[in-house]
Amino acid sequence: MRKIAFALTIVAGVVFTSCSSDDNDIVEQAATPTCSDGIQNGDETGVDCGGTCTPCKSGGENTIENPTTYAFDRDGTTTVDFSGQTTRLKMGGEFVSALSDNMRTAEQLQAMFAHEAGNADFTDVDLNASDKSIKSKTAASADFFGGNATDQAAIRADFDGWITGQVEEVFVNWETTAAPGVAGQMPHGEQVRYINAKGLEYNQMINKGLIGALALDQIVNNYLSPAVLDEGDNRTTNDADTMEEGKSYTAMEHMWDEAYGYLFGLNTDAANPLAGENDGDRFLGSYIGQVAEDPDFSDLLTASYDAFKLGRAAIVAKDYAVRDEQAKIIKAKLALVPSVRGVFYLQAGKNALAEAVPNYGEAFHALSEAYGFIYSLQFAQDSTTGKAYFTKAEVDALLAQLLADGENGLWDVTPETLDRISESIATKFGFTVAQAAPEAI
Amino acid sequence: MQRIWGIVLVMTLIWACSSDNGSGSGMSDDVDPGPGPTAETFARGPMLANWADNIIIPAYTDFSERLSGLSAELEAFKAESSEANLVALRNAWLEAYKAWQHIDMFEIGPAEAVGLRLNLNSYPSDTTIIESYASKGTYDLKLPSNRVAKGFPALDYLINGLGESDTIIVAKLGSETAKTTYIAYMDAVLKDMRELSDQVLSEWQQGYRDTFVNNEGASATASVDRFVNDYIFYYEKFLRAGKMGIPLGVFSGNTLPGNLEGYYDNDISKVLFLESLNVSQDFFNGKHFASDAKGESLAAYLDALNAIKGGEDLKKIINDQFDTAREQVTALGTFREEIENNDPPSNMLLAYDEVQRIVPLLKVDMVSAMSISIAYVDSDGD
Repeated sequence: MRKIAFALTIVAGVVFTSCSSDDNDIVEQAATPTCSDGIQNGDETGVDCGGTCTPCKSGGENTIENPTTYAFDRDGTTTVDFSGQTTRLKMGGEFVSALSDNMRTAEQLQAMFAHEAGNADFTDVDLNASDKSIKSKTAASADFFGGNATDQAAIRADFDGWITGQVEEVFVNWETTAAPGVAGQMPHGEQVRYINAKGLEYNQMINKGLIGALALDQIVNNYLSPAVLDEGDNRTTNDADTMEEGKSYTAMEHMWDEAYGYLFGLNTDAANPLAGENDGDRFLGSYIGQVAEDPDFSDLLTASYDAFKLGRAAIVAKDYAVRDEQAKIIKAKLALVPSVRGVFYLQAGKNALAEAVPNYGEAFHALSEAYGFIYSLQFAQDSTTGKAYFTKAEVDALLAQLLADGENGLWDVTPETLDRISESIATKFGFTVAQAAPEAI
Repeated sequence: MQRIWGIVLVMTLIWACSSDNGSGSGMSDDVDPGPGPTAETFARGPMLANWADNIIIPAYTDFSERLSGLSAELEAFKAESSEANLVALRNAWLEAYKAWQHIDMFEIGPAEAVGLRLNLNSYPSDTTIIESYASKGTYDLKLPSNRVAKGFPALDYLINGLGESDTIIVAKLGSETAKTTYIAYMDAVLKDMRELSDQVLSEWQQGYRDTFVNNEGASATASVDRFVNDYIFYYEKFLRAGKMGIPLGVFSGNTLPGNLEGYYDNDISKVLFLESLNVSQDFFNGKHFASDAKGESLAAYLDALNAIKGGEDLKKIINDQFDTAREQVTALGTFREEIENNDPPSNMLLAYDEVQRIVPLLKVDMVSAMSISIAYVDSDGD
């Protein structure tokens, strides 16, 4: 039921940075459920009502029923639209695939990354016609980059550098066998990987880096930010059910949906991703399910989905405290994707190097994925502080450690280094290395 | 199409299929000792020695000889490019391919280090690359991306796949230009195969044998634990899935006859499968290479552990299942006929199910009796 939408300009550049974060969250991040925490927990039968709390009033202000699917309509017309996000995820898919095509030039790859409307950068003509681009939403959230053009530029330069590296270091050595200090081919089981002189796969760094820089950043630091949701007169228009010009939704509803679209926009059943399957998303929507397969994080997918539904229902109910509580849940949950997966791949790399015959192909592939996931950590927001768990400088330092055991980067990396970085990440995000890497012996 | 009815596989069933004497089935002699105090008295060292000295090294030695036999036939064909010499070349190729089935599972130590399996037998081959290299004359066969353009599958294409009849193939391979194209490429492919396998054999002969046998403990890094993992992985992925399940479409939902091992020959996929199945069962029983003698084995290990399943001897259950799988597969037509002429290929799917039934017996029952943990996981390939 996707509509062909035309450009919904979400003001990337508009910058309400430290928008005096609403202080209605005096609520503790308490372990014990209370009747005022904006979450349905304990024995409550609705949000903060029923059970030992005051009874829920049917249709009353404190009863927000969590709908069974992410389907919302008004007078029989759907109010959900995230076609812009779907477009970018599809662009990302083609872009990531093209990174493994050694016939591409750096200019072609840059053009895919920073697409301009009408250019034939993609195979999908709808993507070519679109005025959206990946790069314009890379490190582009209001909360983190609205007032930090310096880091934004540095992050975009990182991606540009990796694209250039893929062409100028890796593509030119496509028919070379890789060795320490030599870029080229590396067997990985039946597959062939292409690495730089330090053992890194640039395409993996870019793909996994965009999980943070594009998808996670846009969701948690932009569309779920109170500064964005409440931008301008969004509360007034939402309270009054004033639709966007020519649309079936309020501005605030749409913001929330755009966040949702970056996570589930490419699911075969976007309204009920638990029933559908990932359909070509190479980013967050692909990895949230993988992390949720780990029994220690099994509620990751359902809890995120539930919070998205309830938060959206809260916007319809004009209950912004409940909305913001759900946003916090989503932030905490999604932060686990790059952190758990990063540690998982660090440990997978460690184990592959420890085999009787070191499996460099397996190890370098895992560590290249880890590199991108660690890079993504700077976009994960700690909802209790509103800041990144790790700053860009801290992330850069972790990544520097990964390559600092010798002059040839991953060829020289030691298990101690991999464990040390794993511990730093796990501790920061509140889990253990064993929880993230249960298969790691 | 030329059909080469190569060697007819005469594998007499040694374990006289003592079909379950149905009498006992009703009355369970429930004296199941359970996972009780059956102390492990089995010595793993002699089993490792039996594997190395009576199975692995003789199989590598034989394989090396078959490859030199193949080289000799290629030389003969070069000297006289006749149809008779093409047939002789093809037979030598098939003999070597069957000998390969005897070492394929031993992807441990030297073979693992050079990646022998994927260097010698990655299929389906990429015939576009093969044609381009053969005509160009410049290539680096050591590149990982060229694994799909060399080894047995490349020879399959060059010996069997260049034309509809031997007359056409001989015309192509026997031409003057072929000397610097197809034939030169075959030479290079064969040289690469011999270098890699000779390297593995010499490492087994010069030290790795002792490394392997002396690592006789019981831990995740001990030889038995590691090799049992490799053995089951081989059975599950390369025998069951590679030779049967993938071409049958069990995993993809679409039949893929082009993914058969030895596709261009038409007739040998089943022959190679059965060879490999026999090798797997012989290994389980510790049967010496090219001999009926037996030594210490996984079967003997299960005996020592008194392993039973549902009141029955686990060793016998496993051997019976190998026999059942073999019977079912033997009764099939060639794999290409089964897959290409039947939609769905029901008989081959039924046979596949019997082949599959061995997996849990090895991967669950056998290893738990031996306290070996399965360490491999199929990676997602992303």
